[in-house]
Amino acid sequence: MPDLSKMKKPDVKVVLLGDMNVGKTSLLHRYMERKFKDTVSTVGGAFFLKQWGPYNISIWDTAGREQFHGLGSMYCRGAAAVILTYDVTNWQSLAEIEERFLSLTDTANHDCIYALVGNKADLTDPKVHLSQDADGQTKDPTGGDEERTEPQVLSAVPTPPASPTSFSGLVLHKQVTRDDALSLYERILRYKGLDEKSSLPADKMCFETSAKTGYNVDVLFETLFDLVLPSILRKRHENRESPTVDLEDSGGVGSKRARSSCC
Amino acid sequence: MEEDNHQDGEAQEVKISDSQPESIPPADILLGNHECPEPVEGNHSTADDRNQSVDSQPSHVGAEESGLDADVPPHLGAKLEPEETKDSDCLNNMSTHLDGTETEVRVTDNDQSDSGEFVVTMLAKAKLEEQGIGVKGRPSPLLEAGIQESPSFKSQRDEDVTTDSWRQHRKHVFVLSEAGKPIYSRYGSEEALSSTMGVMMALVSFVQSGDNLIRSVYSEEHTVVFLQKGPLVLVCVSSSRQSEQQLLGELLYVYYQIISMLTQASISRIFEHKKNYDLRRLLAGSEKILDGLLNLVDSDPSFLLAAVHCLPLASSLRDSLSQILQKAITPNLVFSILIAKNQLLTIVQEKTVIEDARLEPADVHLLLNLIGASSAFQAGEIWTPICLPLFNPDCYFYAYISYLDPPECTVCLLLLSTDKEAFYAVAECKRKIEEAMLTQNSLSLIAKAQLYSVNQVGVSDLRHFMYKPFDVPDNYRQLTQFTSPEMEAPYSNEEEKMRLLDLYRYMHSRIHSTSRPLKLIYHVAEKETLLAWVTSKFELYTCFSPLVTKTCAITAITKLLRWIKKEEDRLFIRYPPKYSTTPNPSKSSKSSKSEQQDSTDNGYLSPL
Ligand SMILES: Nc1nc2c(ncn2[C@@H]2O[C@H](COP(=O)(O)OP(=O)(O)OP(=O)(O)O)[C@@H](O)[C@H]2O)c(=O)[nH]1
Ligand SMILES: [Mg+2]
Repeated sequence: MPDLSKMKKPDVKVVLLGDMNVGKTSLLHRYMERKFKDTVSTVGGAFFLKQWGPYNISIWDTAGREQFHGLGSMYCRGAAAVILTYDVTNWQSLAEIEERFLSLTDTANHDCIYALVGNKADLTDPKVHLSQDADGQTKDPTGGDEERTEPQVLSAVPTPPASPTSFSGLVLHKQVTRDDALSLYERILRYKGLDEKSSLPADKMCFETSAKTGYNVDVLFETLFDLVLPSILRKRHENRESPTVDLEDSGGVGSKRARSSCC
Repeated sequence: MEEDNHQDGEAQEVKISDSQPESIPPADILLGNHECPEPVEGNHSTADDRNQSVDSQPSHVGAEESGLDADVPPHLGAKLEPEETKDSDCLNNMSTHLDGTETEVRVTDNDQSDSGEFVVTMLAKAKLEEQGIGVKGRPSPLLEAGIQESPSFKSQRDEDVTTDSWRQHRKHVFVLSEAGKPIYSRYGSEEALSSTMGVMMALVSFVQSGDNLIRSVYSEEHTVVFLQKGPLVLVCVSSSRQSEQQLLGELLYVYYQIISMLTQASISRIFEHKKNYDLRRLLAGSEKILDGLLNLVDSDPSFLLAAVHCLPLASSLRDSLSQILQKAITPNLVFSILIAKNQLLTIVQEKTVIEDARLEPADVHLLLNLIGASSAFQAGEIWTPICLPLFNPDCYFYAYISYLDPPECTVCLLLLSTDKEAFYAVAECKRKIEEAMLTQNSLSLIAKAQLYSVNQVGVSDLRHFMYKPFDVPDNYRQLTQFTSPEMEAPYSNEEEKMRLLDLYRYMHSRIHSTSRPLKLIYHVAEKETLLAWVTSKFELYTCFSPLVTKTCAITAITKLLRWIKKEEDRLFIRYPPKYSTTPNPSKSSKSSKSEQQDSTDNGYLSPL
């Protein structure tokens, strides 16, 4: 099945950006494989294809490490949606979005959609565990699902959803409030020169998620996929004559070669 | 810090050494003629050759040792035929215990011995004064922001550096900048160790100022080895009883792995720009890659031998795989590598690249380690810049990494391009390769491939061996390879495996001793008998059951060599295929820094 989908050309590109350790890989893993597993800090970028109805959506999971910073604009070239990710327990990770990652999106499509995602909500909000069921996520909190030691207290609890009280005393301080996120979203729109009124509302595009419990993860990706549909259709239309979609040419600023060839 | 300690006088046991400590000669019988030692072909030689060309520091093994041995002209043509071993009546039994008197201390031209004791007191005996645990999951922004990670997350980096167990690790490795800033520590966080690092740094600069580059310090239990490479200082504190040269070789691998992530050019530039730059900013997240490397160095003899190990495969199958790779090309593709079970299946190279350089085993080792460390992405296709430090320490390749057999993920395709933008084109090559492998049913054939058992050789007392030809026929001066059977009982558990590897390391250090290299060593250990033999054509390490006689062992080796000859096609990659992807791709990959492949191209330096 995955092999078949890989034979097809991607229709549209979605990119995950954000500081290292915020949980980009974990989010994608949760969405694609319905699991929360141990991760290794990403090197470069990793490319995934997701079949979404009749469409092929390519997703780039990028490395947040400063070491790979220079590659970010390449991964963003022609992106239809960018997921800017931070860690709700880490204020600096929100600041990094503005300082380091926003400018990388200069190569994205003009009509690129931005989502602002605060991950690791399970660490600050016990409700996130309870709402797992409501969220319709695969409920598999046992054994293989979390086969590792984790950097947070919850791993000490065998089945978190079954014993919500056991972690109530261990909740981490939430450093980034929803209001912080909303106002950053406004600043992103301003940076992009987008009009607040004609753009997607901040309320809709700011998410809090947990890759660990699955909270809001499907909602995030599926909202975005729905929002990029027009972009897909437009591109399919443009490429009617040549079915080969060249992601490199779809919008964004021109080649960076000229700039980068100097020392 | 307590720099004053070095005033303390008594330094009988511990001296700073500029040369490798020679263990006591009578312990082993020396065969072959000492007048004609062959050029040392160990893992350090290739590395060191490169060092000299890329680094003006005179502190490295290769350079000075040749001076020490100047009276012994290197002899290239020496050939030892198996029969010659019979001539040597001096093969005799001796039981050398590795734990014996190996700690003999060499006094050298360096009279700063007091500082030697100082560092040993500080490091080897590890009277560390650090306070606090310095728990640190990884140097993440989470921590920078002052959030405490919960104590349930414990990795080797969280270790309490004040405990005995920390001190008792077999091999510590530290990396620091010339300015003394901690960059990496194998165990415990660099922060918790920063004062120890400071001490090391003080020592290094103290000795440097005396025009005496410190290289190693010995105590009864530990060997402390220093390596300075450009702006980086690497330190190893080891109780593994390996030779200084071997430890230096391992530090060099650590250095190269760092280079593979950042390039030498950008590291020099960073430190030229800002002497006390905190390199952890750029290396954050790479600790697992370095940890993985050090674990491999300890457990995989490929590193010791500086040779690659390929998976035994019927030559027809290997050839068909090579052809598949050969056909799936795109401009600027320079290497196509197929890996199964972490071992090479085949490598195909761009024609012009092959002409002016060969792929060094060390570069392959670094690539394999990177793949191993990024196993989390098994489902996706990775595109990442990587530098092959021995090929060209200053430029990046772009590596495409993808598994061909999800969800098992044992067969991995690695395609290297010189073009940063080539991801989609290279990914298309993978589709072609996948398709071709499907029609030829290659995956199921590969799945059947496995290491061989030593029983196949048909020599009863032979338990294990490592054979490294200097030139695989038809693979002239290409990739240095070695072959070795699976480690079976009694070496099937980790402890025994390590013990055998340690014996091999010991034999290797004797063979490659800079002051008294040996051609043949017959070594009766407690639980086995080993025979190591180096000729102009190969290097061979064999392990026999303890009661084997000399004559038996020698006949066995003759048989073994015959068997290897017969199996050559299966055991090694021969006829390395080539393809041509661009009129002149090597120009951009192998050439000087002036080319567009310069590291700034990747924006790695953007923080500056
Ligand atoms: N509690 C909790 N931990 C999480 C969550 N998401 C990720 N983590 C943990 O955070 C760490 C980093 O996760 P990754 O997904 O590797 O982070 P990343 O953003 O991909 O990092 P880079 O690849 O280095 O950029 C891992 O230890 C995860 O287990 C979450 O929702 N809740
Ligand atoms: Mg990641």
